[in-house]
Amino acid sequence: MSLGLLLPIGLAALAALLLPVLLHLERRTEPRATPFAALRWLSMQSRPQRRVRLEELWLLLLRLLLVAAVALVFARPVLFGSEGGRAWALVAPGVDVAQARTQFRDPNARWHWLAPEFPEIDGAGSAPSIPSAAQAQAQSKLQDQSSPPPESQPVLSLLREIDASLPAKTALTVFVPAQLDGLDGERPRLGRDIEWRIVPGTAVSARATPAAVAPALVVRHTADRAASVRYLRAAAIAWHASEAARMAAPMTAPPARASRLKPLPHERDATSAGDRQVDIASSAQPIPATARWLVWLAPGELPAPVRRWVEAGGTAVLDERSVLADSMPLVAAWRDADGRVLANYATLGGGRVIRLTRPLLPAANADVLDAQFPARLRALFDGPSPPPQRALAAAIRPLAGGRTYAQAPQPLDPWLAMFAAGLFVLERWFASSARRRRAA
Amino acid sequence: METPELIPPALRARLGELRLSARRALGGQGFGQHHSRSRGAGLEFAQYRAYEPGDSLRLIDWKLYARSDKFFVREAERDSPLTVWLLIDATASMAQGDAARPGFARLDAARTFAACVIELALRQGDRFGLIVVGDERVHLTAAGQGPRHRDRCLLELRRLHAHGQWPTETKLRPLWEHVRAGDLAVLLSDGFDEAAISLCVRLATARREVCSIQILTAEERDFPFTGGHRFIDAETGAEVLTDGAAVRAEFLERFKAARAALGARFAASGINHVEYFLDQPLDAPLRRLFPARAARFIPESA
Repeated sequence: MSLGLLLPIGLAALAALLLPVLLHLERRTEPRATPFAALRWLSMQSRPQRRVRLEELWLLLLRLLLVAAVALVFARPVLFGSEGGRAWALVAPGVDVAQARTQFRDPNARWHWLAPEFPEIDGAGSAPSIPSAAQAQAQSKLQDQSSPPPESQPVLSLLREIDASLPAKTALTVFVPAQLDGLDGERPRLGRDIEWRIVPGTAVSARATPAAVAPALVVRHTADRAASVRYLRAAAIAWHASEAARMAAPMTAPPARASRLKPLPHERDATSAGDRQVDIASSAQPIPATARWLVWLAPGELPAPVRRWVEAGGTAVLDERSVLADSMPLVAAWRDADGRVLANYATLGGGRVIRLTRPLLPAANADVLDAQFPARLRALFDGPSPPPQRALAAAIRPLAGGRTYAQAPQPLDPWLAMFAAGLFVLERWFASSARRRRAA
Repeated sequence: METPELIPPALRARLGELRLSARRALGGQGFGQHHSRSRGAGLEFAQYRAYEPGDSLRLIDWKLYARSDKFFVREAERDSPLTVWLLIDATASMAQGDAARPGFARLDAARTFAACVIELALRQGDRFGLIVVGDERVHLTAAGQGPRHRDRCLLELRRLHAHGQWPTETKLRPLWEHVRAGDLAVLLSDGFDEAAISLCVRLATARREVCSIQILTAEERDFPFTGGHRFIDAETGAEVLTDGAAVRAEFLERFKAARAALGARFAASGINHVEYFLDQPLDAPLRRLFPARAARFIPESA
């Protein structure tokens, strides 16, 4: 713990200390003229001593202190190397706080969620407001008062952040569920040796999982692209047929498609359902508000309403002739058997765009006729599969010996400024009351 | 009257116990010393003077009017055996007062003493005159008697200003023409002017009855000054720049010695000498100089 100045040249303001001293110097340099007739009996020898006299010493001291405090504020004092202070206990979302508290009995510990901004966990250790492990479920916890806000930052990122921002001596205990989500490829390496405790609980993942049920496919096309529409309709019907089949006979293996000539009853249902699930219209028609997946088969600039819809979070497959004003990094999303790129991924605002490079016609794109086309299209909409992020907490116990960071010094000027303000009030009161006393 | 009374009422009440008297027996001055206040006093002719408006018609000499067709007033010298001269020092040093009581300088005290003595003389029918010495000259109001002369003198007193220095010997010559042997002269001064002291000594030697009230300030007695002061003598303009506390003991010692020397010198010349400090009651010096008849022969302690 040491004191430092961020702006030592601010101490030059200490020269202003002269000001109150000058103000308080007795201005009467000339001795008082006193008429005195009995002068001849007065000895001439002793000269008057010239002493530096100051008036109102206490007020002067106050003023000096005030000036010094203000000068110090200018110099911006900071406190380096603050002590470790109280231990920190971090609880990952999904962990039962009551259980964590039974394992870690430090009355001075500061309990925080391992979540962005590290919100404090309110409530005492065995407070009734904390649900017990038996009744706690991830859903109810999310509604509970003592639950953290939904997580959007990975756990390890949060761990590294808190490791870098806490003083090096602060003890850190982290409570994690048995399974952790949102990990990255490396085993974390932190600047300190943290206590890693595994408590029963469920991992809460904010990552969006691929939709189990395909949403309605919205197709907007111009007349010259009408030939492509049938393939899209077929794909959508295929999605819903396979889902209906999964629901109807989850245990039985799907029968071989070639062996049957007549569609099964659920397949017929699926066909009619597929008509309901596919919204095919001219490109002049507006996009319904509930739409999530869109196929846009129209040449030219993407109209503003469509663009806004994509930017708001929609996913759209764009025709190869449509023009998108902004150029974005494109990632190959779909290759045919020869390795030619059939579609590219791009992002637009908060949504995604899949740009086809060829028309969806058998002549240009043989994959359209392939049996895997519905699955391909579905994969396009679902986006690239994320890397694995889930692991057992015991396996990724963070290592010590990572990089440590210098702590940000603690600024002292707010306190000093408050002190100076208090001094100023005191000085005003002192000065005015002294004046009142003199006047009385 | 906008200016305050010269004699405060309390002091005036106490004047009744006092009495002007000369120590020496005066020979050849007529009958009793103080029995000449009768109205028919003009036994000894003094002068004729022209009539002035305000003079009583009874004083006009009608026989002379019949002869000369002019009004003359016949004035007669009264037989008052005692003439009191108030010798007032009005040099600049008399303007000094105490810081504790501003507005009351030595000269104010001198005025009051003079007024008291005039009041006493008037009551006893004595003649009184005013000699103001200051500003390098002598201002003389001839001796006279009666309330009118009293008022004239009081008017003179009110006009007084302490200014300048003590005049040279030649300028004092008219004083010798007026103050005659046997007269009573009361010196009201601070006693710092050697010329004033020597004048009194010579007056006493020349058979004039001399009293002296030395008017001193309380600051001269106590010297309460601390810190740096620039002491200025108003008469000479000399300055002493010194530290009050450092010179106090020495000054008090030397000043006391000087006062004692002055007292001894006056006593040797037969001068009744009294010291008065500005913070003392005003009647104290008068009481000691002019005691009532019963206490007259009690020796002076000064």
